[in-house]
Formats: sequence, structure tokens, C-alpha cells
Amino acid sequence: MNQQNSAGSPRPRPAVDDRALVERFRNGDPLASRALYERYSQPVFRFVSSLGVPPEEREDASQDVFVAVFRGLKQFRGEAQLSTWIYRIAARHASHLGRRRRMRSFLSILPWHEVEPEPQPDPAEKASELRLLDRLLAKLSPKKRMVLVLFEIEGLGVNEIAKVMGCPPNTVWSRLRHARAELVKAARRIAT
Amino acid sequence: MKRPTQISDDAEKWLSETLEAARQRTGDEVARRRVWARLEALLSGNSLPLLRGRSLALPALTGALVAVGVVAVLWLVPATRPNHLPAMAKRAASSVASVSQPSPVASRVVSQGSSATPVRTGRGEKARVALLGGAGVDLDANSVLSWDAERRPSVERGQARFEVPHQAPGARFAVSAGPYVISVVGTKFHVGVDDDRVSVEVEQGVVEVWRGARSVRLVQGDSWAGPIRGLDSMVGDRRPSLAGASSRRASAADSPVRAENGPASVELAAARSALSQGRPEDALTMLTHCAKGVGPAAENAAYEMGRVLRDGLRRPRAAVTAWVTYRTRFPNGLLRAETDLSILETLARVGDRAAALVEVESFLARYPNSERRDEVARLAARLRGATGP
Repeated sequence: MNQQNSAGSPRPRPAVDDRALVERFRNGDPLASRALYERYSQPVFRFVSSLGVPPEEREDASQDVFVAVFRGLKQFRGEAQLSTWIYRIAARHASHLGRRRRMRSFLSILPWHEVEPEPQPDPAEKASELRLLDRLLAKLSPKKRMVLVLFEIEGLGVNEIAKVMGCPPNTVWSRLRHARAELVKAARRIAT
Repeated sequence: MKRPTQISDDAEKWLSETLEAARQRTGDEVARRRVWARLEALLSGNSLPLLRGRSLALPALTGALVAVGVVAVLWLVPATRPNHLPAMAKRAASSVASVSQPSPVASRVVSQGSSATPVRTGRGEKARVALLGGAGVDLDANSVLSWDAERRPSVERGQARFEVPHQAPGARFAVSAGPYVISVVGTKFHVGVDDDRVSVEVEQGVVEVWRGARSVRLVQGDSWAGPIRGLDSMVGDRRPSLAGASSRRASAADSPVRAENGPASVELAAARSALSQGRPEDALTMLTHCAKGVGPAAENAAYEMGRVLRDGLRRPRAAVTAWVTYRTRFPNGLLRAETDLSILETLARVGDRAAALVEVESFLARYPNSERRDEVARLAARLRGATGP
């Protein structure tokens, strides 16, 4: 989504820039929506996965995000980068799903409430360390997790993260420092 | 501003490597295509639904409390509990949840998705349940519908009539009943479960009933019944339709389903994991081995070899060869449409316009009702323009 990842290596610049694609979409070019989806579907899938949306909900979550994107594109003023705007939509939706999961989990402790089955792991990630990483990330608060995911996994800069989350850059730095410290501490605990 | 301290010890090194793996997470391509198929249908119908979740931004405490109250009520009453319906179906279904009609036969309309609470009907009661993918089921009296470990709807007892709309390319709808799995692309059928038998009757379309690696294919008008206990094989009492539809018994190899079981599925999962970790060569080796077997995992592996060759190893010609092999081996395979699309897209991408055009025309003839038809037709026009008269 972004042009530069956290390691600082440049990512290939697409042949058609986002603004041109948005313009073509507004003019009713049906290929533009497909191109936008091809460009952003993988980052959106990855982002919602990293934010703890369980595998069985990721497909629906991604669909919701793109429905929101396509509905909102006509009003998109271009003040932020398109990627920032899409991340903001995805972040808001993932937060919404997280709140709903927590509410469900809270209600499941009630004695008359039937226990829901544990979410199934993504078969594609069975043998990897990613599930363990997801468990560690789940220990962070939602805001810290989001900052860490946007910075470390999605490779956004601090100013862009501040726009996605609607907070000052210093707050992003502070959350990032705490998130990294907590994550490393949790990883060490598992290692011992 | 300075970046936070870099990682140094072993745990931190592991963390650093795993974060790198997370950056390479690609997701399931077939799932992404399914999402696109649904989005495209919504875009072409100009019927994008209203956004969900905007109200979450409301900061007022009163609003939040009301929302919590409403959610709590919804979740405490099982019959009205909203679940993992696809986004579109959820919004549509929310307006019809829990409608009761008293006499002479009580009936309910229930919105349910995977992992939901079982739906039970009592004496003289019927229920209509909305399922994932736009499917629906009418539950007869004294019936139970639940969801199995793989989140498929499962008829535990009684009679159920399913209506399944045509599924997106690469997708199949499955229902479990006792030890059997009934797999369909788009159809209407009845499932009955009593103490010792499962019965299936096909009203429209084609249905496959699976037990382990064996299956029987039923066409419109066919009925079939098999024991719940006893032999772990596909022993059933099959009655072909009066219309004389073919009554061959399908083998696992020529008619696979997406459900993957056994060691082959473990190997397939390992291959996907290798791919997500940036080891396409290892993934290809595992997929090649897996594809030599039979059953759903072998079919999926044969298809995924093409993806690894094209996207992981940047060998589009070899990918096309792999997909052509898939097509020869599984001419009616579940991923046939996906394979045809992959071949024509790849040929167009490498500039082999003549071959791409042949594939495009074959696709349009083979799938006249595909949701990708318009897109492929536009590609055909472009290819024709480029190849000249």
C-alpha cells in the first residue's frame, strides 16, 4: 500500500497512480474498480489478519472494507493518500469486529449462554510462526497493536499512521515504543 | 525523529523474522477472487449496501449504552442472534429476523451463519434459515440444524430443504449429515436424517454425496439413502430419476470437492505455509508430490502449482503448462473455471494474444452465465483489436 516498508526498501511504483485510478473509477470505468481491488486486496487481507480478525471472518471483513471504499470513492477528496484512506476504513472496520468479538466473549461467560467454538486457524498458516505472533499481538491493547502492525508489518511512516488513527505523531511514537517493549517481553517469556 | 531501539537478542531476532514473515502474508487467492466476484456483482447492479459501523464513531455514552443493550438482547435470544453472514446477506437478513406466525403451523425466519447456535424446530413448527453465500434452508418440524467443526451446516435430525444459489468460481457449498457431506455448486435439494439413515433427494441441479474419499453423484430427480452407522464406505440405496439421468458412481479423482482430508491435506497446508514464508521452490516440490495423489487435496495442489509457478517463481509459461495439465486431469474439476481464467489472464499478460484469444472464446462459450463474462468479453475485444483483422 505504501511506497516504502519499515526496513526502508522501496516498493515498486505502480504503472498507473492511485489518483488516475480514482478518476477513472469516478468516470465509470469498470476496469478501474478491478485495478483498485487488485492493488489493495492483498494489503487489506493482510492488515485485517494482523489486527486479529479470525480466518473465517477475513473474507467478509475484506468485502466490507471494499464496499466502503467503492461507496466512498466519489467523495474522496484526495487530501490524504488513497492508501491512508483505505487503511483508515480497514482499521475502523477491524476495530468494530474486535469490539463485537469482545462483547461476544464477555457474554459467553454468562451461564445460560452457549459456548462458541474456538476460531479455526488458517490452514495456510498452520506450520508457521505467524499464529504465535498473532497470539502475542493479541496481548497488546487494540491501539498499540494497530500502531505496531501499521509500522512494522504494513510499513507506514509515523505521520501516515497518525492520519490513519487520528492522533498526533508523538502519540504514535509513544504507543509504538510501548508496543515493541511489550511484544519483546512477551516473546522472551515464551522463549524461556 | 529516531526509530525505536532495534532488536538484539534471540527472542527479538525471532520476533524480527516473524514480523518479516507477516509482511509477506498473502492470503488465499481463491478467497480474494470470491470477494471480487461478489463486489463486481454489487458494482454492476449499482447496489452497494450502506456501510456498517459508522454509528460506532458516535461518542455519546448514551448511544453506546443503548447499543450495548441492544447487542446484549440480540445475543441473549438465540433465535435472533446475528452471526457471520456475508456482509451483504447480514444487512438484508437483519430486517427479517425472528418473525413468528402462530397457527396453524408456527414458522420462524432465522438469520444464521457459520458457528451459530443450532436451530431446533418443535412439533408443528417450521423455520427458514439464511445461510452463508445467499443460501437458505427450510427446516421441517422436529428438525435440528447445527454447524459442524468445519463450519458447514449440518442436518442432525429431521428434514431440510436447501436452496443454494450458483456459487462463485472455485466455491462450493457443503452440508453435512451424519457421516456424509453433500456438496453442490448451485441447486435445490432435500436432506433427511433419522436415527439410522441419511437421505438426499435432488430437486434441481447436481449434488455429490461424500463419505471419506468416496462419493456418489446425483442429478435432478435422483434420490439416495445411506446408513449412518456401519460400513465406512459409500454404500447407499440410489434411485435414479425417471427421466433416465445417468447413474454412474463418481470416483474421488474425477469429481473432487474442496474439502481436504488426510495426509495430503497436511502436505498441502505445508506447501501453502512454505509459500507464505517466501519459499516457492519448496512449495512447488510439495505441491508436485501432493498433486500425484487423488482426491480434493490433489486437485487443489494441481491448481496451486500454477499459481506458485506464475506468482512465486515468475515462470508464467510453466504455470500455463501446469494449469493445462490440471485441466486434462480434472476436466470437470471444481477449480476448472478458475483454471481457465488463470490461463487466459496469464497468456494475455505474457503477450501471447492469439493463444489468449482462443482461451477467451472458449471461456465465453463454456461459461455463458459467468459473473466474469463481461470482463472476459472486454479482454476479448482488446485482444481482437491488438491482433488485427
